[in-house]
Amino acid sequence: MSLIRKLKPDRNITGALIPLSMLPIFGLTSLIFSITTGMYTLAVMVSLFGIYYFYVFIRTWNTAQLVPAAEAAFLTFMFLMIAANSVSNPFDRKELALAYFSGVIFFGILLIYVLVTRKAKWRGREIFELAGETVEETADGYTSRPRPVGKVDYNPQQMHSFARFCARHLIALPYYSSKNITLVPIKMGDEFGRLLGLSGDYRDATWVNFEVNGEVSVHIAQKDYLDYREPLAFDQLCTSLGQVFIDFFDQHNKGEGVRVIDRMDELKIALFS
Amino acid sequence: MDFQTAAKYASLLAKDYAEDIFRLLVNYQAISASEVATRLNLHIKTAQDFLETLEQLGIVSKEEIIEKKRPYYRYILKQARIVIDIDLEQVKREPSPKSLSAYIREREGAGARFSVARNDDYITSVAIWTGKGREMEERKLKLTTPQGRFLYHLPFPKAEPLTVDEIMHKAGIDQAFAPEILDLVQLLEKYEVIESLPEK
Repeated sequence: MSLIRKLKPDRNITGALIPLSMLPIFGLTSLIFSITTGMYTLAVMVSLFGIYYFYVFIRTWNTAQLVPAAEAAFLTFMFLMIAANSVSNPFDRKELALAYFSGVIFFGILLIYVLVTRKAKWRGREIFELAGETVEETADGYTSRPRPVGKVDYNPQQMHSFARFCARHLIALPYYSSKNITLVPIKMGDEFGRLLGLSGDYRDATWVNFEVNGEVSVHIAQKDYLDYREPLAFDQLCTSLGQVFIDFFDQHNKGEGVRVIDRMDELKIALFS
Repeated sequence: MDFQTAAKYASLLAKDYAEDIFRLLVNYQAISASEVATRLNLHIKTAQDFLETLEQLGIVSKEEIIEKKRPYYRYILKQARIVIDIDLEQVKREPSPKSLSAYIREREGAGARFSVARNDDYITSVAIWTGKGREMEERKLKLTTPQGRFLYHLPFPKAEPLTVDEIMHKAGIDQAFAPEILDLVQLLEKYEVIESLPEK
């Protein structure tokens, strides 16, 4: 089956840029100061990376986030050990080398597992593909206004349960208030800015809002709209995005949350996209 | 009394010498502009303008006096009480069936920015660009809650337009709010944020 993508190809490397930037920083600090200082610097950077993933776990309860968090903790410990021993070649000590490589292999396999199974993948791109799937008309008509798209007959407890489900599977990041729950779908690469609060107010992003009275409304950010290959009919796109979440809500409520994940996996979006 | 007439009264009464002139008018049988000016140490033109405006408003009457040289006017107070009475209902915009049945939607590429309320389904403000070229500046309109709800339910550009009445019904807005809704529609039409269509 050939899949026709509605979104432009993803060329965002933000996600890879942050861990990769540790390498030149490590190299430069080692060159300017010493390899011990370089190791300490690397340990600090890796620990910050680990803290970030642990924060994502706390925010979403997505257990796959514990893998990079634990790996970062392990690497931080190893780098500190190496720096504290002040040896010219850390792998001269067989015990240290053994501990290091066994840990790297173990966490490497775990990382590959969570990546391949998409357990740590932010599903924003899948959401936008699904929303665009049913929209054939191209008419543009973008507006920054939200659109009311319908009503769901569920109580606040069911809504909270669905919001937790969305967070746990990285479908969307929920924001709670006394009157509503707002779900913000996040594409891979955009998660750092959104979670660290560097991307501005979430109300300016794309969101689907569930009022406590069941009203559902949708807002699509211009940046996300421009990510579509064609100027899709905007009102239809908003309705479709709202419908995607309403369908997900229904399936989750029937205890078929796994079908939601299957539907997104079927799109076969690239692992880092 | 209409607003323009009331504004003339208010403008006269706001002068710091108004009370002094009225005191002279009440106590003198008739008085000329030059007598008022010399008595109150005002410029003759100031006194003359004030008395002329009073005459236009019908508070004083004037009679022409011809003496040796050229003629001049003497002013006589006609009424000892000034009442400013404005019926505010006269500026109320009663919604006509025609204005409520106009088909509207957001204009494509209007360039307006809408701010959404955090806790409810309504728009709190809309920022629009006014002027042209280097004179262009952003103007932010704060909306009342019914106006915000109305704008929230306004059809998107390229979407099927709806009548003002239909949008109000969809947004659950009471008919009593129709004048303020129509005021907003009129303003946003002026700034080309909303377009009015003759029919679907």
